[in-house]
Amino acid sequence: MNIIVFVKQVPDNTKLRIDQISQLGGGGIPREGVDMMINPYDEYALETALRLKEAAGGESKVTVISLGSASAKDIVKKAIAAGADDAFLLSDPAFLDGDSTATAHALAAAAKSLVPDHQVLFFGQMSLDDAASQTGPKVAELLGHPSLTAAKGVELLNPASLKVMRETERGVEFHEMTLPGVVSVMKCDYELRTSNIKGVMKANKAQIPAKTPAEIGVDASKTGKTGSSTTVNGLSQRPPKEAGVTVDGSDPKAAVDQLIAFLKEQKVL
Amino acid sequence: MSFNGNIEEYKGVWVVAEVSEGRSTQTSEELMTPARQLAGELGQPVCAVILAGSGDDTSSAEAAFGRLGAEKIYTVKHDLLGQYQPQLYTKALGDLIQQQKPNVVLFGATSVARDYAPRVAIRTGGGLITNAGELKLENGILKAIKGVLAESLLADVSVANTRPQMALVRGRTYEKPSESGGSANVETVTPDLTPDLAKSKLLEVQQTDTGKKKLEDAEVIVSGGRGLQGPENFKLVEELASTLGAAVGASRAVVDAGWRPHAEQVGQTGKTVTPTVYFALGISGAIQHQVGMRTSRTIIAINRDAEAPIFKIADFGIVGDVFEVVPVLTQVLKEQNLASV
Ligand SMILES: Cc1cc2nc3c(=O)[nH]c(=O)nc-3n(C[C@H](O)[C@H](O)[C@H](O)COP(=O)(O)OP(=O)(O)OC[C@H]3O[C@@H](n4cnc5c(N)ncnc54)[C@H](O)[C@@H]3O)c2cc1C
Ligand SMILES: Nc1ncnc2c1ncn2[C@@H]1O[C@H](COP(=O)(O)O)[C@@H](O)[C@H]1O
Repeated sequence: MNIIVFVKQVPDNTKLRIDQISQLGGGGIPREGVDMMINPYDEYALETALRLKEAAGGESKVTVISLGSASAKDIVKKAIAAGADDAFLLSDPAFLDGDSTATAHALAAAAKSLVPDHQVLFFGQMSLDDAASQTGPKVAELLGHPSLTAAKGVELLNPASLKVMRETERGVEFHEMTLPGVVSVMKCDYELRTSNIKGVMKANKAQIPAKTPAEIGVDASKTGKTGSSTTVNGLSQRPPKEAGVTVDGSDPKAAVDQLIAFLKEQKVL
Repeated sequence: MSFNGNIEEYKGVWVVAEVSEGRSTQTSEELMTPARQLAGELGQPVCAVILAGSGDDTSSAEAAFGRLGAEKIYTVKHDLLGQYQPQLYTKALGDLIQQQKPNVVLFGATSVARDYAPRVAIRTGGGLITNAGELKLENGILKAIKGVLAESLLADVSVANTRPQMALVRGRTYEKPSESGGSANVETVTPDLTPDLAKSKLLEVQQTDTGKKKLEDAEVIVSGGRGLQGPENFKLVEELASTLGAAVGASRAVVDAGWRPHAEQVGQTGKTVTPTVYFALGISGAIQHQVGMRTSRTIIAINRDAEAPIFKIADFGIVGDVFEVVPVLTQVLKEQNLASV
């Protein structure tokens, strides 16, 4: 079974400094001098893919594809260290600064040309920086594949179909999906694996080919900025919250009385 | 992005309404507020679209949208639309969009709409803004503010030079409008669908306890974290929640520990909620938790560590032990017969 996982390199939001945020102008999120990491949901997508590969057995293979700048090699290597077999980088100026529509055109073309006999395409539910939650279903639409989002696990029913568990407002849904198909993964209940020595050595040695639009057969005007259906005009910090009241709870009754008075004042009681 | 159609032909503001147990959902009804506002500015009509199974009774939802100000309702009915399926819903709505050419299409950010709206965007060539907060028009272009990077920053996003202009709007961003409308003109549409289009099917739903309040809809949420020290102590959280008529939430630490189900998790990898009041009990307030609840109107924190980050965003904090404070709070609320308004 041929599985692809799409991973994106994103800024580490917990390490973004105030001075970096205050310099923001138009355009996207800063990348210069910012710590980068693999998009958190993509780690679950990778874990789900590796588990599916183990369950499917035989000649199964997991290929990782990332569109981004040259530094995206770091997260791709991390994925190889965790157990992925193969990797490609889509790294060309024409690919950059695209929204989910533009990126989906490039990723769909990459899936078709680089892993033509793919059966399952895994995405993260959402990227931290764009927070679009659109790329998976858009790639599926472009390829004519079925798609399901908000997945928290999959199970191989037979070589041609996958059971997908979706978490929704009404509860957990179980769907049967005919392959090839696209699954966008949220947080799963299982633990992520850590890399082992063998994986790290393999990752260090791995050649990661960088592909251009022409090499994957996508019209360059459909990707990157020119292929985008939405534009980010600018970023700003959230307006700071007014400082709240903090009281000492060593006398619980007194603290509770103050809290109730506060809630009444706010007209919520 | 280059658009193949004629932008001038695209007119009207649509709300894609979801119907549950015969009634339109609160999130769908809220969308009528921005829809009327945008339509007023554009001088274009407001329409609602309902996708439903052939046998489904949509009359109550149609009447509700009429009262909320929709001039026209397209009720798209087919045997194959009784259960949500991404490819069938994409084709049914995509075909209608291509025929009728709306300017703006609004969806609620639900697990159904989030699943298929991106496909509709590709199918129709439109632009889609997800997780949108407040919407506005600038020179006829749809814009929205949305949280990015785990809600730490706000991005100002607009649709490019394309139609339709679509957005998935977060629940509780708007209040539903007054019922000042009349009755809408309802057109029943029969979409061109065949079973072979659907390459996935719903097998089963494990319903979450329907007696429980849904986190996303709750006015008041009481969440507990690792400070509760064990699953058995969550009865403190549950008792306070039931006294207040609130829903129960949880931090990831207690979900990962198996004390609470994932459906209750609030935060970056859980749910994003915007209640009127959010209680954080024994929750440190890690950035990934804050992401899911920082837009709550009033935040109450009880934590014994005065340095806990949750106090930075709390409107009212009690530095104290949850085991001492929470039972007193529940008891006083009960004695005074106070519930949330
Ligand atoms: C990629 C990623 C995604 C994540 N997604 C989420 C998410 O969606 N949601 C989420 O919540 N977290 C998420 N996390 C985890 C997050 O970083 C924190 O680890 C988690 O929120 C901590 O949960 P907690 O506050 O319950 O526990 P802790 O951080 O351990 O805090 C417990 C608090 O209880 C207080 N306490 C202890 N005893 C008492 C007492 N008797 N009375 C009063 N107070 C007491 C302590 O002072 C402490 O502040 C994510 C992390 C990562 C890396
Ligand atoms: N540049 C990219 N390279 C590889 N995968 C991507 C890229 N952008 C988005 N994705 C995938 O699409 C998912 C959803 O992203 P988004 O639609 O931006 O929220 C991510 O979790 C990734 O799996």
